[in-house]
Amino acid sequence: MAFFRYKRNLYPLIAIASALIIMVFGLVMARTVVCSYFLAGAFVWLFIFGCWKQCLKALPLFITVGGIFTLIAYYAANNNLFAALAMANRFGAVFLAIAPGMSIQAVAMTRNLSQLHTPRAITLGMLITMSFVPVLRGEIKRVREAMKTRGAGSILNPKIFYRAFLIPLVTRLVDISDTLSLSIETRGFTLGKSKYTVYKREVINYMDVAYILGLIAGVVLAVVL
Amino acid sequence: MTPREKAILELVRLSEEEQRIADEAEKHGESGKGKRKVFQKYMIKNIVFLAIITCCTLVTGAIMPLLVNVPLFGIIQLGLGIQFSLFPVIGMMKVRKPFALLLQSLFISVFLVFMFPPMVLLIACALVAELLTLLIFRGYKNDWACVFAGTLYMPLTLPLLYMYYNVFYTVSGEEKAAVSMFIGGGNAGVIIGITIAVIAVCFVGSVIGMVIARELKKAGKLK
Repeated sequence: MAFFRYKRNLYPLIAIASALIIMVFGLVMARTVVCSYFLAGAFVWLFIFGCWKQCLKALPLFITVGGIFTLIAYYAANNNLFAALAMANRFGAVFLAIAPGMSIQAVAMTRNLSQLHTPRAITLGMLITMSFVPVLRGEIKRVREAMKTRGAGSILNPKIFYRAFLIPLVTRLVDISDTLSLSIETRGFTLGKSKYTVYKREVINYMDVAYILGLIAGVVLAVVL
Repeated sequence: MTPREKAILELVRLSEEEQRIADEAEKHGESGKGKRKVFQKYMIKNIVFLAIITCCTLVTGAIMPLLVNVPLFGIIQLGLGIQFSLFPVIGMMKVRKPFALLLQSLFISVFLVFMFPPMVLLIACALVAELLTLLIFRGYKNDWACVFAGTLYMPLTLPLLYMYYNVFYTVSGEEKAAVSMFIGGGNAGVIIGITIAVIAVCFVGSVIGMVIARELKKAGKLK
C-alpha cells in the first residue's frame, strides 16, 4: 500500500503547487501581520514534511538578503514598520517557495512527468536542465582554474572574460552536449512514440495529501481570521 | 605524357567531377527541398544542447528572486536581459529549428515557478517571438533571425508583467505606492525609456551570443 508508506520527499507536482500557493499568498497578503504567521506556519509545515534541509538552507539567505531589503524599505518609507513588514513577508514568501522546489529530485520530476505522458523531449530536457547544475558549476571552476594557471588576468575585464572564460566554457559545454547525446542514443533512448516503462512510479500518499491540505487550511485560516 | 601522368590527370579530373556533382546536389537541396522545409524534426542532440544551454540561462538568472521585490518598472528584464538573450541565441544558432526558443522556455519554466511564478509567461513570449521570427525570416538559417528572436524574447515580458502587477497588486488595496513604482508610476516617459533600455540590453546580449556562436562555428564546434 504505497499510499500509507512513509516517504521523505514530496510528490513533485504537489511540491510545485505548494510553492505556488506560498508565493502567491505571500505576495498578495504581504502587508498583513497574518501573512507573517502564515509564513512561519508554512516553514514549520515544510520542516515536518521532509523539507527541513531545504528550509535550513534557505533561512540564512532569507535573513541576510531579506534583512537588507527590509532595512532599506524601513528607512525608504520614513521609518514605516508596515513597509518593512511587507518587504520581509515578500522575501519570506519567495525564499520559502524555493524550499519545496529544492526538495524535488530531477529523476522524481521526470518520472512524474513521464507518468503523465509528457512528451519525451520535454522530460529529457527538464531532466538535463535540473541535473546539469553541478556539472556546470564544476566546469566553471575548471575554466577559472585554467585562467589562473595561465595567468589570464582578472575575470572582471570584459575582454578577458569573453576570451578566456566565456568561449572556453561554451566550447566545453558543446563537447559535453555531444558526448551526452551520444551516450543517451547508445542507451536506446528515442524521441519517438515508442513505449516505455516507469519502473519507480511516483505516487501520491497520505503525507502529500496531509501536507497540501494543511497548507490550504493555513491559507483559509489566514484569510478568515 | 607518360601513362602514369595520364592516370594521375584522369584521377584529378574524376575527383573534380565528383566534387562538382556533390556541390550541385547540395546547392539543389538548399534551394529546393531544404529551404522549403521550415519545420524540422528534433533529434536527441538538439534537445540535449538546448537543455544544457538553458541550464546556463537558469544558473546565471538565479538573481531573479532578489530582483522581483525591487519596486522599479522593468528591473527584472534589465537585470536578466543579457543572460536571457545571450544563451538562447547560442542555443538557436546551434539548433536552427523553429521552436528552439520555445523548448528552452519550457525547460526553464519549472524553475521559474519557484523563483517568480509570473515569469512562466516567458513561454508565451517565446511563442510570440518565434512566430514573428518565422513570419519575417522564414526560419533560423539567417544569424540575424536568431538575434531578432533573442532580442524580442525578454522585452515581451514587459507588457505581461505590467498587466500582472496592475491586476495583482491592486487586489491588496494598500499597495498603491508600490504598484505605481512597479508599473512605472503611470509615467509614459519612464515606461518608454526602460523599455528601450531593456531592448538595448537584450540586443547587446543577442549580438554577443551570435559572435560567440560564429566563433565556435569557425572553430568547427557548432555544426
